[in-house]
Amino acid sequence: MPPSPCVLCKTNRAVILRPKDHSKLCKPCFLSVFETEIHHTITSNHLFQRGEKIAIGASGGKDSTVLASVLKTLNGRYDYGVELVLLSIDEGIKGYRDDSLETVKRNAKQYDMPLTILGYDELYGWTMDQVVEQVGKKGNCTYCGVFRRQALDRGAARLGVRHVVTGHNADDVAETVLMNLLRGDLPRLSRTTSIVTSTPSAISTDPNSHTNIKRSKPLKYAYEKEIVLYAHHKNLDYFSTECIYSPEAFRGSARALIKNLERVRPSAILDVVRSGEDMAKLVLSSDEGCEGACASTIPAAEEEVDGCGSVNGRSVGGEMASMEQRLAQNEVVAEQDLEVEMTINHGSGQRHDEHDSGTTLRKPGKKRGGKEKRGQAFLPKKTQKQVMGQCKKCGYLSSQEICKACVLLEGLNKSRPKNGIELGYEADTHRIANGVNDLQMQVD
Amino acid sequence: MPSKHIEPPGEEPCRRCKENTFIIVVRSEPLCRDCFIRYVHTKVIKRMESFRVRNADPNRQRKILLPVSFGVSSIPLLNIMDHHLKTQKSKTGRTGFALTILFVDTLGVEKSPANPNLLIQLEERFPDHHYAKVHLEDVFRTEMDDSLLELMPYAEVSKVLPLSEQLAVLINSLTSATARADVISMLKTRLIVQQAQFLGCEGILWGDSTTRLAEKSLTETAKGRGFSLPWQIADGESPYGITFNYPMKDVLKKELVSYVELVQPPLTSLVHREPTNTQISTGSKNTTIDDLMKHYFESVEANFPSIVSNVVRTIGKLEAPYSSSSDSHCKLCKMPVVGGQFGIHGWGGDQEDGLAAPVGNVGQGLCYGCSRSMPQVGR
Repeated sequence: MPPSPCVLCKTNRAVILRPKDHSKLCKPCFLSVFETEIHHTITSNHLFQRGEKIAIGASGGKDSTVLASVLKTLNGRYDYGVELVLLSIDEGIKGYRDDSLETVKRNAKQYDMPLTILGYDELYGWTMDQVVEQVGKKGNCTYCGVFRRQALDRGAARLGVRHVVTGHNADDVAETVLMNLLRGDLPRLSRTTSIVTSTPSAISTDPNSHTNIKRSKPLKYAYEKEIVLYAHHKNLDYFSTECIYSPEAFRGSARALIKNLERVRPSAILDVVRSGEDMAKLVLSSDEGCEGACASTIPAAEEEVDGCGSVNGRSVGGEMASMEQRLAQNEVVAEQDLEVEMTINHGSGQRHDEHDSGTTLRKPGKKRGGKEKRGQAFLPKKTQKQVMGQCKKCGYLSSQEICKACVLLEGLNKSRPKNGIELGYEADTHRIANGVNDLQMQVD
Repeated sequence: MPSKHIEPPGEEPCRRCKENTFIIVVRSEPLCRDCFIRYVHTKVIKRMESFRVRNADPNRQRKILLPVSFGVSSIPLLNIMDHHLKTQKSKTGRTGFALTILFVDTLGVEKSPANPNLLIQLEERFPDHHYAKVHLEDVFRTEMDDSLLELMPYAEVSKVLPLSEQLAVLINSLTSATARADVISMLKTRLIVQQAQFLGCEGILWGDSTTRLAEKSLTETAKGRGFSLPWQIADGESPYGITFNYPMKDVLKKELVSYVELVQPPLTSLVHREPTNTQISTGSKNTTIDDLMKHYFESVEANFPSIVSNVVRTIGKLEAPYSSSSDSHCKLCKMPVVGGQFGIHGWGGDQEDGLAAPVGNVGQGLCYGCSRSMPQVGR
């Protein structure tokens, strides 16, 4: 069989079967199509403003490396006029983070971008190793998760940057859509499908505050497989990590499903993203019955898609099972003529656990769906009824008086031994490295 | 083959009647046969409130259509409705409604169609109702307009073909197993709606179980039809201009599998069992998104039944946008496309605009999801 020519340039030999639509392309055409699509995403969503300083959340992994490379290329080619910097978060896990940070340092040279590495120790006064020393292996993930959510915003504020871009790709978003359907979390589904998330600006008037950082995901429509192909064909220098999912957990389950869907119909990833965007428009913005107190109180920066779910090591298998149990209990109550429903259910020790699961009592007798609903006129989206304020300690957006990070810190600081903490029980560090394997890609 | 969750009769008594020994564990409750059957019936009848005798005009019989596929849901539904009507009759001397049973024959179109002879057996077992049978190709005969023909290659030529060939032309124009399964199910729904209207029925009773509705929700999400979900599983007026009801909404598929065997007399001989694959291969050209989701929810249902119901409850919380009759509807799935955003282009994830050679697909009146199944339309 003669080699087929590239469907775009029609001259070169096709060497790439494009994952997204199975079209046959040559290498230069693939690279150019990939870049052009990201450019299209950026321009059609008006992501960047001329003169803006933008921090790329860089982990050294494939997504953030490709993001840095492509943004560098596009900023030059289309003259966006933006200033790009790299921002990495070092959780402070010895023997684990070092390799990926070395990659980021090389990237900084390769792309000629200034790099800032901010450690948990600088941001919070504690490295993860120290936290683990203090609280033990069990439960340390709660700390890391809470700290990490704020870290990029805090880091950006320090750099005087108002906009952070992350490497979340189409697979991540699609996975999150399915995961939130399985978890029954419509508010989060609605927020995570959005390409730009930012904390409400009304909260703070201080320009240096870290409560008003814009987050966007320029790779939102890019397939993971194409990101890998792009990195490969551009010979990009990235650090591959393995993210092992707990097979029973929601994200793991959703991820496996997405991969299977992609195999059956390549467009399915994009189609799920599209469905997610459309469904987001159908989500009632206020949680009737709980006055917005149960599910909508997540600051935008705290509900990012989280490219590589880090459920591993904490809720192995228990996440779906514990939700099942709670839902089943609800059903028993419902049998007794109370309509009870589950909004969100965050298994303990799971990463998105900063607010408690809500059990919403609905007014009995009120029927949803069906005719009544259709009689109503389409209501324009109301603004979220969030009871948001600022943390009294750090100023971070929080539904509580003191944000979760500060609460955790307070606990840590109270019990801090006067002589400081010794690092490096060999065996422990090793075990932690396994357990927290996935932290690496969080900024990604 | 006895289903897995039927336990051998143990010592423990039934949690409800406390008399008989339990035969099955339903949502962690050990139940005897009678209590289990009552459990299923109660769940279904509860959703039939609007069809009570007292709501029926004594001078005008209300008619509803019950389409049967001979699957594990529609046959139990008929059994329960038959029983329900008999109870109404014995209690009040009349019934709240009358049933018309419809079977859509898909011989020559679907992989393993149900044997039409089952319909004769069904009529013998439940003789009190009206029965009707159509073939899927009849969808071309009963359509009010040419919207289906417009979706076919060489519409002018196709128009004069015999119905069976029209159907074949349409199905053969589709390029994947997923697209074929998708279009066939759309056509079935359209045909059932047409028949309901033709037979003077005010509504349709769909047999979808909780599991099936969860499956459908994620299938439609994966096909890019998230926009239409509020209309897909809700009871009430449908975009087809007829009332849809899902009385089996609160019963799991595995419970129905048990019901078929445990009810007296059993329904086993009336149920058409598709060959079940324990493993589905995503590499196979014949595997569809529908197959994948079916398989997925079978496994979720086994261990996490409440998560399955929660998916359906969650989708039920999506608010259908107000759609006026002037809104444009998709030519294939008939769902209202709010804002008229047809085709796969013109949204954030559409990156063709950024390319030098845009593809000339404007959707031709197909919604996003239907455009994925029929990409050739409009080319």
